[in-house]
Amino acid sequence: MTDQSTAQEVVPDDPTGTRPPRRRAPRGTTSHARSFSPGFIAKLILIGTVDALGVYGILSAWAVSQWGILAFLVLALVVANWAYFSRRMLPAKYLVPGLLFLVVYQLFAMGYTGYVAFTNYGDGHNSTKADAITQIAAQNERRVEGSPSLPLAVVQSGDELGFAVVTEDGDTQVGTAEQPFEDVDATVESGRITEVPGWEVLGFAQVAADQEAITSLRVPFSDDPSDGSVRTQDGSTGYVFRSALEYDAAADTFTDTDTGTVYTPGEGGNFVSPDGERLTPGWRVGVGFDNFTAMVTDSRMAGPFAQIFVWTFAFAFLSVITTFALGLFLAITFNDPRVRGRKVYRSLLILPYAFPGFLSALVWRGMLNERFGLINEVLLGGASIPWLSDPWLAKAAIIGVNLWLGFPYMFLICTGALQSIPHDMTEAARIDGAGRWRIFRSLTLPLLMVSVAPLLISSFAFNFNNFSLIYMLTGGGPNFVGTPYVVGHTDILISMVYSVAFESGTKQYGVASALSIVIFLIVGVISYLGFRRTRTLEEI
Amino acid sequence: MRRSIPALATTAVLALALAACSSSDSPSDATSDSPAADAAEGTLTMWVDDTRIDSMRPVVEAFSEESGVEVELVQKATGDIGPDFVTQVPTGEGPDIIVSAHDGLGEWVNNGVVAPIELGDKADAFADSAVQAMAYDGQTYGVPISIENIALVRNNALLADTPATTFDELVEQAKGAGTDFSVLIQQGEESDPYHLYPLQTSFGAPVFEQSADGSYTDTLALGGEAGHAYAAYLAKLGADRTLDLSVDGDKAKQAFLDGQAPYIVTGPWNTSAFQEAGMDISVLPVPSAGGQPAQPFVGVQGVFISAKSENPVLANEFVVNYLTTEEAQDALYEAGGRLPALTASADKVDDAVLQGFNEAGATGAPMPAIPAMSSVWSFWGATEAQIVGGQAADPAGAWDAMVQNIQDAIDG
Amino acid sequence: MARSTELHTAVRGRRWWSEIGWRHVVGVVMIAICLLPLLYVLSASLNPGGTLTGSNQLFRTISLENYTELGPRGYMNWAVNSLVVSSATAVGTVLMGAAAAYAFSRFRFRGRRSGLTTLLLVQMFPQMLAFVALFLLLLSLSEVFPAIGLNTQLGLICVYLGGALGVNTFLMYGFFNTVPREIDEAAKIDGASHAQIFWTIILRLVAPILAVVGLLSFISSYGEFIIAKVVLQRPERFTLALGLYNWASDERNARWGIFAAGAVLAAIPVVALFLFLQKYIVGGLTAGSVKG
Repeated sequence: MTDQSTAQEVVPDDPTGTRPPRRRAPRGTTSHARSFSPGFIAKLILIGTVDALGVYGILSAWAVSQWGILAFLVLALVVANWAYFSRRMLPAKYLVPGLLFLVVYQLFAMGYTGYVAFTNYGDGHNSTKADAITQIAAQNERRVEGSPSLPLAVVQSGDELGFAVVTEDGDTQVGTAEQPFEDVDATVESGRITEVPGWEVLGFAQVAADQEAITSLRVPFSDDPSDGSVRTQDGSTGYVFRSALEYDAAADTFTDTDTGTVYTPGEGGNFVSPDGERLTPGWRVGVGFDNFTAMVTDSRMAGPFAQIFVWTFAFAFLSVITTFALGLFLAITFNDPRVRGRKVYRSLLILPYAFPGFLSALVWRGMLNERFGLINEVLLGGASIPWLSDPWLAKAAIIGVNLWLGFPYMFLICTGALQSIPHDMTEAARIDGAGRWRIFRSLTLPLLMVSVAPLLISSFAFNFNNFSLIYMLTGGGPNFVGTPYVVGHTDILISMVYSVAFESGTKQYGVASALSIVIFLIVGVISYLGFRRTRTLEEI
Repeated sequence: MRRSIPALATTAVLALALAACSSSDSPSDATSDSPAADAAEGTLTMWVDDTRIDSMRPVVEAFSEESGVEVELVQKATGDIGPDFVTQVPTGEGPDIIVSAHDGLGEWVNNGVVAPIELGDKADAFADSAVQAMAYDGQTYGVPISIENIALVRNNALLADTPATTFDELVEQAKGAGTDFSVLIQQGEESDPYHLYPLQTSFGAPVFEQSADGSYTDTLALGGEAGHAYAAYLAKLGADRTLDLSVDGDKAKQAFLDGQAPYIVTGPWNTSAFQEAGMDISVLPVPSAGGQPAQPFVGVQGVFISAKSENPVLANEFVVNYLTTEEAQDALYEAGGRLPALTASADKVDDAVLQGFNEAGATGAPMPAIPAMSSVWSFWGATEAQIVGGQAADPAGAWDAMVQNIQDAIDG
Repeated sequence: MARSTELHTAVRGRRWWSEIGWRHVVGVVMIAICLLPLLYVLSASLNPGGTLTGSNQLFRTISLENYTELGPRGYMNWAVNSLVVSSATAVGTVLMGAAAAYAFSRFRFRGRRSGLTTLLLVQMFPQMLAFVALFLLLLSLSEVFPAIGLNTQLGLICVYLGGALGVNTFLMYGFFNTVPREIDEAAKIDGASHAQIFWTIILRLVAPILAVVGLLSFISSYGEFIIAKVVLQRPERFTLALGLYNWASDERNARWGIFAAGAVLAAIPVVALFLFLQKYIVGGLTAGSVKG
């Protein structure tokens, strides 16, 4: 689906066009399909375009063997046509465009995370087994010590490729994959082989056209395989290489050519020797629930976990409350039409929202600097308050900076939502003698909550996972002293995941995914419960 | 994932895995000249960051003209090149070539995303530490293009010469200048092990043991008596405010720019700003604090080829045969102003500041590229911060706890 | 509206302070707090060689050098890209979100409640791996529909539209619920179809929230760079946020001055858009029609 199609797909389900027939139709009998109004024709054209794009997509997905996309497109086309041509699927007509995007871009990412959580994807297990085999072989192909670098030309005879080289003694030799080097009478001009009898010397352009074959060609140096073979990477210089590890495709094992150690593919996605030595890189394999159990069994995570868990809730909760309170207060303050210049006030109030968040966090970090920050040095007259290195002050600083960053969002939303509260109602209450606070508590706030409550929950969830703020402002610090993972007093669950999965040695996407799914379950359940409570508010 | 945002870059620098190792380039006598007699067709995709893309452009154009191979430069954020290389190469959609600091090499090798190359006797033309940095586990993976390390920078307007032979004497002399700060070493909430490393090595406590050929093993060497002595020294510098966690990178740079300190330990990335501001500066090695040579980490910018490049010959032609030429390295220097890794080009650099860094780096240690290094950074910085900040009452004890935690992390 | 002018003239003296004056005080204080950190950004943007927070001595150098450097670095191009991408995203989000909110608000169908709940929960999924997933997805899409694959702005817009339903739908849903059903009923009796009611009646009544959602969606896509950097790779296709991020990503070599200048200019469209939309957000259009 392209965006034009979906953005406009909403239009065509106005089946009767902008000039409606002035007749009252009994419900359910208005034929969407049979009234050939301009609107219906527009709808036909749009759906037709979508269908055409979809069919095009199906055909090209077929051509490039993208079966997943093909299946999805077929399904999406069926759903779309059914939704817009069926008479009954009213809600679907409004939901389909947005849902399509949601499914493609959001659910896919979720599903992928879920899949990764059950694999060992991460550093050292980055790709497929085939890639790993190629790479192990390539990394362990070592140049024979003391061997010369040989001026080389790629030669061809019929379909057969070979190398022509100038040896250390100045002789010229030719060999192929099957035929070790033997002397020939080639022409050498200024160190380069230009002609070989019986062979065509390939120029750079020809070499470039067949790179794969040339870089994988190995010409035995002599009849004795232990002498190694000649290969080239640039088509002009050859070196004698010997494999320290050789792959046996039939047995699916690597063998060390010096010690004879055999490495067999292990369960963990590595080639492993009998005494447990692993070759890198490995490949991606499924590991079942290992990533999930790992966090339970990792005693190193037990220590600060409880503290971080509590702080995560406190942080998310306080962030929502403070930003919402300030945003709402400001929205109400400037909702009074008698305030002159409120347009300017409002516009300047969203400035914190208009600057890149990481830039603001950097500036705040500088301003909170213990000795030289603006807050201590200028505003507090040279005080030395450890804003970022005292555990409690750092927490306060995080909440404060998040308030600065986040209130414009709440301010905007509240300003918008306030418009749904009829002015007459508050006016009537005022005439009845209700005070400002009373009006706010009994009238404005409950009405506002109808539209805003779900947003507060979602804001809670956002802050629950607000990794970037923590990371940019304090990096989780001040750190706990001596803990086996580098985590600190201001770390929240998601930044702890980051620290554990990415910063303690290797990057472990599998573990990170598993941890983040667990966090999702926690915050999801809490939000779900909170959401059910707001239901009572919402159903008027 | 929300990472590598510049503020994160502080951490990102720490989070990168670092490199060094042996390279067994045996002598050979063959000549290696360019085979590009006739033009080839093909396009190479090359990832390069914002600060290097402009200096790479003319070099790439010259190569295209000579060989007919187009090189498309794709701009990526500095901190993203390594991680994205690891995630994208397996899909087959990654770049052919990347330009990056060498410290991610271990991770790339372990993930099988970088292809080995053979420098042959070209290796001899480069600075030893630069070639060592391109090697991992006995195999070479990249062509070095420039070298960077930190050194001591002096504001000549405040102090004209440096008689000090130890770091303590240096601090004493600097205090004589009567400025707010003596010797600036940038810190931050997580301290800065990178900028403190010359002091640490001067106590004989390098992070990993190095084997005879210069390559790192994953045996930790920063503990023991030497480590304790360094930890105690850090605590002392923290107590007398020579080191101050409040002095972050921004503050240190600005203070030096404002003439508030006669010395700063920093790298070439800041000296250009000093010179643009019209300051007269000299660059010197950092004096030893613990009696042994103060070695900074040497970072090497290298060019690496993807293991799944569809154009391996073209990529090798460009990287191994073209970027190793004096002509290419000269051009990179002229456009980018970074010290070339090729000795012949570096010798031609007529810039006292860069030469100063070059001399200070001559004794330096390559940044370790072994993956174990990524376990080290975060513990290291956190512990140094606690020692400098005074939270760790027993510096030696805190240091031991750190060594233990790093060892646990390495053992997995 | 007439009432407010009436009141306006009536309020004086102490009453003015208690009813209106304090609002100005709040406004001024809040604006000072909003602007304070941004002064560092502005100061850095005017100082060619300085640091971002290295000194509290602001505005000691005033030079437009950083601003003039923006042009040659492709800034204008990025600005245009950003405006295109964010406008398209905002319009798409408003249309699809409003349609969905209408369906949830006005129709009663099976799965309505669970659908609403699911929409809310989906948004809470931690997106730690989203960038890997999206890269793979767009890579596959590139082969079938190159127009929405990797390195296309259309592809980026589509990814952003994936989030069109969600929090915004809820905001609109809540607002739709406050529009009395009698209005629909009356229109239905006049023979209007559900689509006509939606397009010609409801959407006008909920204009304030459409403007809010449009603005929120514009701002979030305008400042987004994490997905953008996965999708867009060629500098000429970058959005502003992505371009700026690239300048600032190298901690050591970052030129904060140019970055800050870029950020200052980038904030202008957002503020301008809000200025423009304010009349829809708080305008009197709906005031008369939405009555309980």
